[in-house]
Amino acid sequence: MSLPQRQTDIGPPHYEHFLPPVIKKNYGKWKYHEVLTPGTMVHVAESGDKIWTVRVASPRILSTVTIREISDIADNHCGGHIRFTTRNNIEFLVSDEEKLAPLIEELKEKGYVVGGIGPRISNVIHTQGWIHCHGAATDASGLVKAMMDEMFEYFTTKELPNKVRLAVACCVNMCGAVHCSDIALVALHTKVPVIDHEKLKNTCEIPTIIASCPTAAISPDPAKKSVKIKESKCMYCGNCFTVCPAINIHDAERDGIAIVVGGKIGSLRSDPKFSKLAYTFFYNDPPRWPKVIAAVKNILNTYAANARKHERVGEWIERIGWEKFFKMTNIPFTFQHIDDFTFMRETMRTAATFKW
Amino acid sequence: MPKKYDTPLLDELEKGPYPSFVTEIKKAAETSDMSADALGQIEKSYRDKIPYWKHGGIVGVLGYGGGVIGRYSSLPEEFPNIAHFHTVRINQPSGFFYTTKALREICDIWDKYGSGLTNMHGSTGDIIFLGTDTANLEAIFAEFSSRGWDLGGSGSAMRTPSCCIGPARCEWANIDTLDICYQLTQEFQDELHRPAWPYKFKVKVAGCATDCVAAIARADCSIIGTWKGPILVDQDEVKNYAKGGMNIAAEIVRMCPTGCMSYKNGELKVADEDCNRCMHCIAKMTKALRPSGERGAAILLGSKAPIVVGSLLSWVVVPFIKAEPPYDELKEMIRNIIEWWDEHAKPRERIGELIEVKGMRSLLEYIGVDPQPQQIKHPRKDPFIFFTDEDFEKVYTKDKV
Amino acid sequence: MEKEELKEKVYAYMLKYKGKKKLKEKDVCKGVSGEAGIGADEVKKALREMIDAGKLMYSYAGGASSVEIPSEEYLREKGLI
Repeated sequence: MSLPQRQTDIGPPHYEHFLPPVIKKNYGKWKYHEVLTPGTMVHVAESGDKIWTVRVASPRILSTVTIREISDIADNHCGGHIRFTTRNNIEFLVSDEEKLAPLIEELKEKGYVVGGIGPRISNVIHTQGWIHCHGAATDASGLVKAMMDEMFEYFTTKELPNKVRLAVACCVNMCGAVHCSDIALVALHTKVPVIDHEKLKNTCEIPTIIASCPTAAISPDPAKKSVKIKESKCMYCGNCFTVCPAINIHDAERDGIAIVVGGKIGSLRSDPKFSKLAYTFFYNDPPRWPKVIAAVKNILNTYAANARKHERVGEWIERIGWEKFFKMTNIPFTFQHIDDFTFMRETMRTAATFKW
Repeated sequence: MPKKYDTPLLDELEKGPYPSFVTEIKKAAETSDMSADALGQIEKSYRDKIPYWKHGGIVGVLGYGGGVIGRYSSLPEEFPNIAHFHTVRINQPSGFFYTTKALREICDIWDKYGSGLTNMHGSTGDIIFLGTDTANLEAIFAEFSSRGWDLGGSGSAMRTPSCCIGPARCEWANIDTLDICYQLTQEFQDELHRPAWPYKFKVKVAGCATDCVAAIARADCSIIGTWKGPILVDQDEVKNYAKGGMNIAAEIVRMCPTGCMSYKNGELKVADEDCNRCMHCIAKMTKALRPSGERGAAILLGSKAPIVVGSLLSWVVVPFIKAEPPYDELKEMIRNIIEWWDEHAKPRERIGELIEVKGMRSLLEYIGVDPQPQQIKHPRKDPFIFFTDEDFEKVYTKDKV
Repeated sequence: MEKEELKEKVYAYMLKYKGKKKLKEKDVCKGVSGEAGIGADEVKKALREMIDAGKLMYSYAGGASSVEIPSEEYLREKGLI
């Protein structure tokens, strides 16, 4: 069987090939948009042309079976055009209002979930987890599914004070950039890694391993032609595991999940923020992690009931103060909440002003 | 017929209203032996609470050093069809727009050579094809590239740039994010496919400070559209928002971070010289307010996830740069920034980490950007100030200070 | 210097470090350029031709990319032996 001639360094196809005609015509000339329902919006161009968007949830991992099915739907209603959002939602676009209702009808009939636009929860950014990663301390897709089943009405109907961006990272590498989300789950290793000295000797560069440790916990072990780890200095980041497969960071009973809150990306009203630690640790409890999901719900419900309109989670917490946030949510405050890595200076309170 | 595994734990995750990844894997497993075995292995992970994948290995296509991530099951006897389960990254089109013809074409290739499972899309932006065998890689590359698709980045290389939807369907785009993303991707093809740098380098392009592509948190080089002119106010539309129930004083004026707005007698005013272009009022009153005047981009550098010395948000380095075709100034600036990093960084050191080690001055001097108050939150607070003799010859001369 | 001769020098350099140090493309270019007194750009061109022909390959381990001499397994997979 002969293969076609390969080409190199051609880059991706030019995006113009894929733009719907109404977008090509009004490119850069959009005037305003309106959110019509939790899953639909309309953009209006200076020319008066309009484009309606229907947003649909996706588990991000899609089979070709499903991609073919959404292609069929897009052929039926959208002139064969379709797009995805940066949060992995699927978007169907129509330039004729009459096509909107039949499109939504077919989507609902085939079990697709319409929503995620406006001040609510959109699709969850997440990482590969046990599905495809060697370093995962939990499964990201399972947590997302369990969480979104519970938050479902905040995707499809109910409003929040502002949008709430959720994310799940299956280890502290955070391939999904959990570090600036309103509420995010991040899986942690919590035990000093175990070294297979025989294997290390033959497969890894010792200087590289030593250099990989951010807390200088790793030193040479000349007798074993290997390395040793000073337990009191290790904070289980797993960077040594990344550079050397002979170092094992996994521990089925002690890998678990922390919840961080209050991050944001956009600069609206206040600068972008990092997410900060709320719940320190939950044990992995697949397939549905009920305690983790209940904790997320607790934070979300407290925010929904108390934040002012347009306040993001982080803005609400900063207005009321972290001490009040812990009080209102009943989240236990622990030693782990006080930074003892390198950021203590900038995270401790430097005024005798606080609430009780 | 692919093998059927008992998956009681994963089956739980097919219940409930949100779309299920388990259902997707099962769909693929109806025809793919690889996906069937993957399902079996993932069930085992759910039971044992541990992943069963090995560290990535060396796989790829001839001549390239990236785009394929080696993945091997650590239980190849138990799950022989995923002994190899490599990821192929295909560079996505700007803005994630597709025709169904193109989607079916890539599905055909993947059904023939892979597991039938994808991520639309990965965290960096690529189309992710999950699960194939080393023996198929050259064929996959020939099939994709002959149809106009190329591999994305991996390893110590330029990573696949990505962008927000920009001018394709957004009234707030100050720059043509799709075109800039495409042009930069083309400009750096060699560096994207042949990893020659100290570590990864990510570029993301957002049209405004709303930053729908998370450029400020997830890119070594964050290009964010901005403008210099006043905010134009359509007072009739302001009245319509008020009529529609918006509390303009509370929701807009009092939430403005600079206090540059006032609302009296149904008229909304902006003191433009005090506006910092945060986008709150424009985003909430998109019919009534819009930016005007000169458009361009801010270049911010350094953001990354926590590994290894803590997460970073990007720092403003170039507060304003013109970003119009053919983008020569922008390309040259990025090349110079990368050159400085490539010259000085240790292995696995990101540019944000290097700036902290070498100092911002070193970078600014190299790329020829003046120090400006737009770059900082506040000036230094300690009196430990470095001077060079040249500073006294040029800046702090006796006639000037 | 003839290109073939340069390629031999590059290969010898790679052999010298095989199993001892992971070399990045830049390390090889700088190293061979210094030893042979040729511009690093020319070394890079030769190196690239060798990679395209499967004489050398890009590798990845421990979170970073490098250049190395291909294994027999790799050459067999690419149909080069």
